[in-house]
Amino acid sequence: MAGNAQEGRTSRIGNVLIRAAITLSMVATLNFVLFRVIPGDPAALLLGGARMSVSAERIEAQRQNWGLDRPLFPDQILDYLSATLHGDLGYSFKFRGRLVSDLIWERLPATIALVGLAQLIAMLCGVMLGLYAGWRRGGAVDRIAMGASLALYSTPSFWLAMVLVVIFSTALGWFPGYGIYSPGASIGSTDKILDYLRHLALPVAAVALGLIGQYVVVARAAMSDVVTEDYMVTARAKGLTNGQMLMRHAFRNAMLPLVTLITLNLGYVVAGAITVEAVFAWPGIGGLTVEALNARDYPVLQGIFLLLGVSIVAANLLADLAYGILDPRIRQ
Amino acid sequence: MNDWSMNRRAVVKAMLVGSVAPWVINSRAFASSCSDHIVRVGSMGAPDSMNPFATWSSFWPLVLSYDSLVGVDAQRHPDRRGFAKAWAVADDGLTWTIKVWPGMKWSDGQPATARDAAFTYNYLLGSVGKPDELNIGQNSTDGMEQVASVTAIDDETLRIVTKAPTRWPIDNFVLMVPEHVWKDIGYADARSTFRNDPPLVGTGPMIVAEFQQGQFVRLTPNAYFRTEQPKTAGMIIHFFTTQDPIAQGLKSGSFDCGGVTAAQWAAFSKESDIGVYESRVEQRDYLAFNTASGKGAGSTKALQDPAFRDAIGYAIDQKAIVDRAYRGHADPGVGIVMPVAADYYSDLSDIRRRFDLAEAGRRLDAAGYRDTNGDGVREDKEGKSLQLELITGKASGVSEIPIAAVQLVAGWLGQIGIPVSVTQLDSGALTARTTAPTDGGGSWDLLIASNWLSSSPHDLLVLGSSKSIGLTNRSYWTNEKFDALLTEVDRTVDLKRSQELVDQAARLIYAEAPYIILSHPLTLGAYRKDCFQGWGPEDAISDWSYFPFDRLRPI
Repeated sequence: MAGNAQEGRTSRIGNVLIRAAITLSMVATLNFVLFRVIPGDPAALLLGGARMSVSAERIEAQRQNWGLDRPLFPDQILDYLSATLHGDLGYSFKFRGRLVSDLIWERLPATIALVGLAQLIAMLCGVMLGLYAGWRRGGAVDRIAMGASLALYSTPSFWLAMVLVVIFSTALGWFPGYGIYSPGASIGSTDKILDYLRHLALPVAAVALGLIGQYVVVARAAMSDVVTEDYMVTARAKGLTNGQMLMRHAFRNAMLPLVTLITLNLGYVVAGAITVEAVFAWPGIGGLTVEALNARDYPVLQGIFLLLGVSIVAANLLADLAYGILDPRIRQ
Repeated sequence: MNDWSMNRRAVVKAMLVGSVAPWVINSRAFASSCSDHIVRVGSMGAPDSMNPFATWSSFWPLVLSYDSLVGVDAQRHPDRRGFAKAWAVADDGLTWTIKVWPGMKWSDGQPATARDAAFTYNYLLGSVGKPDELNIGQNSTDGMEQVASVTAIDDETLRIVTKAPTRWPIDNFVLMVPEHVWKDIGYADARSTFRNDPPLVGTGPMIVAEFQQGQFVRLTPNAYFRTEQPKTAGMIIHFFTTQDPIAQGLKSGSFDCGGVTAAQWAAFSKESDIGVYESRVEQRDYLAFNTASGKGAGSTKALQDPAFRDAIGYAIDQKAIVDRAYRGHADPGVGIVMPVAADYYSDLSDIRRRFDLAEAGRRLDAAGYRDTNGDGVREDKEGKSLQLELITGKASGVSEIPIAAVQLVAGWLGQIGIPVSVTQLDSGALTARTTAPTDGGGSWDLLIASNWLSSSPHDLLVLGSSKSIGLTNRSYWTNEKFDALLTEVDRTVDLKRSQELVDQAARLIYAEAPYIILSHPLTLGAYRKDCFQGWGPEDAISDWSYFPFDRLRPI
């Protein structure tokens, strides 16, 4: 019996991994096709910003230099798939001669710090607040939390970011309104960390405030469903205290829909926060995506979206595994 | 008891957080004030490399660290110079003698001489025709087909001989680089992988000392700058993709200067500690007609008819565009030459169209584009109701055209019985749609777009060049006489003759009307008055050189 369960688990994980591999190979192929479908010639865009008239020959020479004059199918796509399989994401068009992997690697820490921290804060605050609001439905906390959550959820993050800049940077001068650290400041290591944290404060707040709402709404709905279940009535009849009911029965059951939301959001951490990054000139993946898209920098776009694909597939994998741990029915 | 423990822990935590907060907030690392004498600039843009042979996108900040030989500013302003102190052309119009500053040094202390200038040009010339020809960056072989030789006569004298008379030797933007740094860099590397990591070695007043892609560049004063070391302690240019943070930074004192929008400009102009400026630049906003026939043609042959285009010219009120779309921060468009090119500008008062919708209607009637069925929409000569597609969008390297300008044009055309549907595209899609019909472009009717080239006679006229179809010439218009004038301008050094040729060409293209020039937007900016003095009186910050950052003084 135990052996069967073990085999089932192994088979389930094996299936999940095979699905993930298939998904990733599709993502890689689509990455190649999708960006080339978007109208626009990288060479013309690269040279279009020049303040001198540019000849057609110069544009064509650049296309040849990048190998864009070769047939898309099969030459270019086979080269791309083969290089990707070997972990070679190629060179950027826009950022002359820079390896795509270097560019992504440079921007990733800033993005993970910003979006990862914001997700963590939003998750902790939002889930706790939502669960409490669901547990005490109709109470003051519930009404305030729901009202504030819906308001924040529906507020555009760039607007929220600008409001934070106006209040906390321009008016009060508490936090810097742009950048990741103060350039050229000859400061000690402690100050450097504080400098970074201070620059991080407003962007993280802008992203986190925008995210809290969805956690509150989902957590409240999940808890509201759970508290009306028969087993909760039974638990109360058995004489369990509120705390015992909450911790032993309600919390765990309410976590299932939240796990989906949390893991999916974790998958998007590497995507960055495009609008917030733009407002705060935060050098993350979101900004890199916009720059690459404007320049039709195919290698960079392919690299970023491949990373995003891997991240989302990994997050889904994590969710599948977490379901098994949280819900015995799935385990069986 | 447990409850109390919980509360006590919470209080202690709150106290800890509270005690750290002011420390974080007041840390000296974040101080931004006048005391460090560093000029802080907020700028729109995204420099990608510090290698001038590989990019055009890093005009700022490269132009602060390197000098061009002569360039635009030196020809317009007697107090602004580049690598050259003086220049002259021989009577044959072929031989240019350029005197560079005596005793000039690179920022690393090495002598900067005419030999470095000769190296820079010959480095480019040597790449011509090779697979890795240096033709994609600011330092480009573009125009060098006219150069016969570049020689350093001595340390202070450079001689450029051209194959035909041309002003290229003083109009080009090639940045002078030191031979001792660049002589061992191969063309393939110079074109792509060589990053030219800071600190740069240049002759400009501010030397790039640190470059963080997507964030900022930090520049330090050049101790060997030819006049004297700048008085400021350096510069930091922060790069943004939107203008709001720049305005907030100016307001809070985080920035000393930066570009602003018209609304921000109006707000700042009321503040006593902030100065505002507007600069004339070479940008042209235009309405182009798709004049192509055959492949890539528009929806009606009317677009190929000069009389149809001329009539529409009477339905465009450039002054209203300036007043309502640009809030007054633009010059109304007339011909293809913009007012900032003062040597060549003419308001074409004798042939100029005046806004008059009734006149536009009369001319359309006379040209055979009437509303015969009384439905309020004119028909073309094939009897088809006119319904034109107007495409628009922002191209790279220019200021955005306000959508209000597009709406005004569409509205006026609607009033004269030519309904217009507007399609807004991003720069990539716009480039794809307006590329030459032979390359898959065309199939649009009207285009509202901009360009920003130099004010050299060639670039003034290239809008109508048949060699630039689908590139700069987006109306696909061709005219042999115009091409001949452009060819002659390219081979003319004499300013007076050059002016005559440009004027003839400008009148020709105005009459044929493949373009209706809408406006010439001004660049707007603001600067704080509390930390530095020496900002320019009108164009406070040059769009072509490092003025005034070579002469700002701390207060």
